Amino acid sequence: MASATVLSPAQAAPPPGVAAAAPMPDVLPPVKPKKGFIGFIRRNPTMAIGGFLLLLMVLVAIFAPLLWTTDPTALAPARRTREPSAMYWFGTDMLGRDVYSRVLYGARVSLIVGFSVAILSSIIGLTIGMISGYIRLADSIIMRIMDGLMSIPPILLAIALMALTRGSVQNVIIAITIAEIPRVSRLVRGVVLSLREQPYVEAAVAAGTRTPMIIWRHILPNTLAPITVQATYICAAAMITEAILSFIGAGTPPIIPSWGNIMAEGRALWQVKPYIVFFPAVFLSITVLAVNLLGDGLRDALDPRMAKRL
Amino acid sequence: MALLEVENLQTHFRTPDGVNRAVDGVSFHVNAGETVAIVGESGCGKSVTSMSILRLIPEPPGKIAGAIRFEGRDLLKLSDREMRDIRGNEISMIFQEPMTSLNPVLTVGRQIGETLRLHQGLSRQQAEEKAVEMLTLVGIPEPRRRVREYPHQLSGGMRQRVMIAIALACNPKLLIADEPTTALDVTIQAQILELMRDLKHRVGAAIVLITHDLGVVAEVAERVIVMYAGKKVEEAAVGPLFNNPKHPYTQGLLGSMPKLGSSLHGDETRLAEIPGLVPSLKAKIPGCVFASRCPHATDLCRQVAPALEEKAPGHVAACHYATKEGAIAA
Amino acid sequence: MFAYVVRRVLATIPVMALVALFVFSLLYIAPGDPAAVIAGDQATPQDVERIRASLGLDRPYLVRFGAWVWGILNGDMGTSIFTNLPVTTMIAQRIEPTLSLMVLTLILAVSIAVPMGVLAAWKQGTLIDRAVMGFAVLGFSVPVFVVGYLLAYVFALELDWLPVQGYTAFSNGFFPWLENLILPSVALGGVYIALIARITRATMLEVLQQDYIRTARAKGAGQSSILFLHALKNAAVPIVTVIGIGIALLIGGAVVTESVFAIPGLGRLTVDAILRRDYPVIQGVVLLFSFVYVLVNLLIDLAYTLFDPRIRY
Repeated sequence: MASATVLSPAQAAPPPGVAAAAPMPDVLPPVKPKKGFIGFIRRNPTMAIGGFLLLLMVLVAIFAPLLWTTDPTALAPARRTREPSAMYWFGTDMLGRDVYSRVLYGARVSLIVGFSVAILSSIIGLTIGMISGYIRLADSIIMRIMDGLMSIPPILLAIALMALTRGSVQNVIIAITIAEIPRVSRLVRGVVLSLREQPYVEAAVAAGTRTPMIIWRHILPNTLAPITVQATYICAAAMITEAILSFIGAGTPPIIPSWGNIMAEGRALWQVKPYIVFFPAVFLSITVLAVNLLGDGLRDALDPRMAKRL
Repeated sequence: MALLEVENLQTHFRTPDGVNRAVDGVSFHVNAGETVAIVGESGCGKSVTSMSILRLIPEPPGKIAGAIRFEGRDLLKLSDREMRDIRGNEISMIFQEPMTSLNPVLTVGRQIGETLRLHQGLSRQQAEEKAVEMLTLVGIPEPRRRVREYPHQLSGGMRQRVMIAIALACNPKLLIADEPTTALDVTIQAQILELMRDLKHRVGAAIVLITHDLGVVAEVAERVIVMYAGKKVEEAAVGPLFNNPKHPYTQGLLGSMPKLGSSLHGDETRLAEIPGLVPSLKAKIPGCVFASRCPHATDLCRQVAPALEEKAPGHVAACHYATKEGAIAA
Repeated sequence: MFAYVVRRVLATIPVMALVALFVFSLLYIAPGDPAAVIAGDQATPQDVERIRASLGLDRPYLVRFGAWVWGILNGDMGTSIFTNLPVTTMIAQRIEPTLSLMVLTLILAVSIAVPMGVLAAWKQGTLIDRAVMGFAVLGFSVPVFVVGYLLAYVFALELDWLPVQGYTAFSNGFFPWLENLILPSVALGGVYIALIARITRATMLEVLQQDYIRTARAKGAGQSSILFLHALKNAAVPIVTVIGIGIALLIGGAVVTESVFAIPGLGRLTVDAILRRDYPVIQGVVLLFSFVYVLVNLLIDLAYTLFDPRIRY
């Protein structure tokens, strides 16, 4: 050790008598990790695109009256089924109503239904799932009921429910929510049951922490991530279901301009006047796409392990 | 000519936060019929080296560079088709985890037979016959019944025997064994090592044994390569390496190995440990890769990467201070 | 094994009973007088009375439920309020187009989606993978009837390759039958393909990480053997499960698809029944679809042993 030559840091070339290894070339081009807002968008492009499109639709829904629209329900038999033009951007329907205005106002119905169903079914599903995951006696009964409900294809269940009530936005929301609750409950129950087995939760139980505290501190925070992702998918599915219900005449009353209703009205004429169906279809698809992309992005961001898989 | 010559092997991986230089400039050779061990801590690149030889590294995100000559042919230049003809036929491999390395939905016979059908063109029937033979060879009782069974019906030791049967089915010239005994019970370990030694003599294959277990090395290897942070830091025949290690890392490894009969002498028998952690392979290290953990490191070590030098006949090490005649002058 | 099958079959009985109870009770948990709701806004008191009588609303709830279940067990699902025909007759008349549509869609979707998912997993991160994933998210986002109209517009109206609407019975020949079903099947299959392709890709990605895949590569097995023999067989159980669950999507979608393409099937019957508030028909169709759904998933559960020898009953 004493014989070691001490080099000054500035010295680059090896001193004589020291065998230096040949430097290794780079096999791959260097990778620069991206940071900041741009980095976030580059790492989560789906969430960024989905969020942007959804925000756009929300703004359209809120500011529909300011976006050069006219009264979406105003009838004008004199100007029926006009092709899209500078005057009627998306044309007019068979009752002379301005399709552009109807489509813009239709965003309100879709978004309200989507968001309401997502929030309601999450809250109710969370409650049922928690009860089921914590109370053994309730579990078997609740899960049997959920099994039964899940055996009815969701759209059919919603149809059956709607067939009995007078069409209204509120009833549509209730019907779709009932059809979606079993899925959320099962998800929450599964998460609760697996969390209860986690060592840190068992440790908390062993330490005498009371159940409400455990639920508040450990269970609830950990169910939020999966339930948020699930809620976005439910929101997307609910918007589609609403459109389907309205389209087949079991949804919102025809007087309300919802995308499903506009398409239902355009149905009779679709071979000759396809634009009446086309514009609401495009808006609906883009909105659902936005929510789905947001959901995919959220899932990737909240669960890195899942990100590689789905 | 050596059976296998690895020259300046570099295996790098692209990751979101930088390039991982898992193996960075490793050269060694294996002669026909020889057993060479590659040792090092986990993450030193020994498994990646072995996977690179068979080109089992997914590219991308990985990239293999350098030359891997098997009987004079550079494997890195072969087409996928040509490479498939070599895998399982001339070079075969045994993996660490016998529990997960066999396909759970295919019968044992089918998995052994697959190699034979691929490389020797046997019919399904002939392959099954040969599979029974192989099971007998690796010492599995009731081979006729076992060929029809699925992996989950076998114990860990039996599964590793099946893996060996698969690997040896086509009489390979080179067998790469990546931690073949690590996942097994100690008694089973000994049996499997014994089996490998026995079969090696019978089949005459050369073996590259990847392990972190120096006890296993001492028992079966003839020559040892020590790897650290993606580089070869020392290579020697088994005797000189154990008796006279040149590189401080090798000395550390040997110091952390428990010796039989030395545990009753109190304080001085405490296992030596190597302080610190293996450095990140994502940053380029200007000097010696071991400098950050080396008790003897100087500024020279931190600035100039040492070349591999022959410190004694057939004994190379990459250390500025490993003297030619003995260990470090300290 | 046999005991297990019997146990599983028996276990579906309470589920089906529960479904029947739901479907039956829906009429009575809705607010207001069911007879009045069914009769609609323009009904006369006589209409309401007639419906009340035909539904047997004057009898106690449990008696009605018992009678209804007894009827179903004897092949009687009640009588349509609108046509006065037995519901079973109406269903029998409409079952062929729906069955054809769903079976064709199932075959089409599985044979497209599984290779698609396998391809995407194999080429993970490449343009092909992104295209498949992009298609999947589109499939989830574009509603069935939008795809239907789009396909009909392009391939029937503009290109005139296939009929716009309608259905030809199988007894009139295979090709006329197929010709009418291609567009509806593709439209209906979109979301189903998306679902199956996505789960196939996800499961395959996981399986391809497994040690036994590395072993197969080390043996010299070719790419197709690795993908389709070693990996797909291991991925089969989740994929088949999702195919079964996804049938719910097919059933829901069939209702809409039949409306778009004017196919006289059960979906169309449901829509007509809704518009007429013909509740016995709605009950019958929902019950039938649910039973089919439960049975298909039961069969799939029982088929798991074919794919994975580790599953023993």
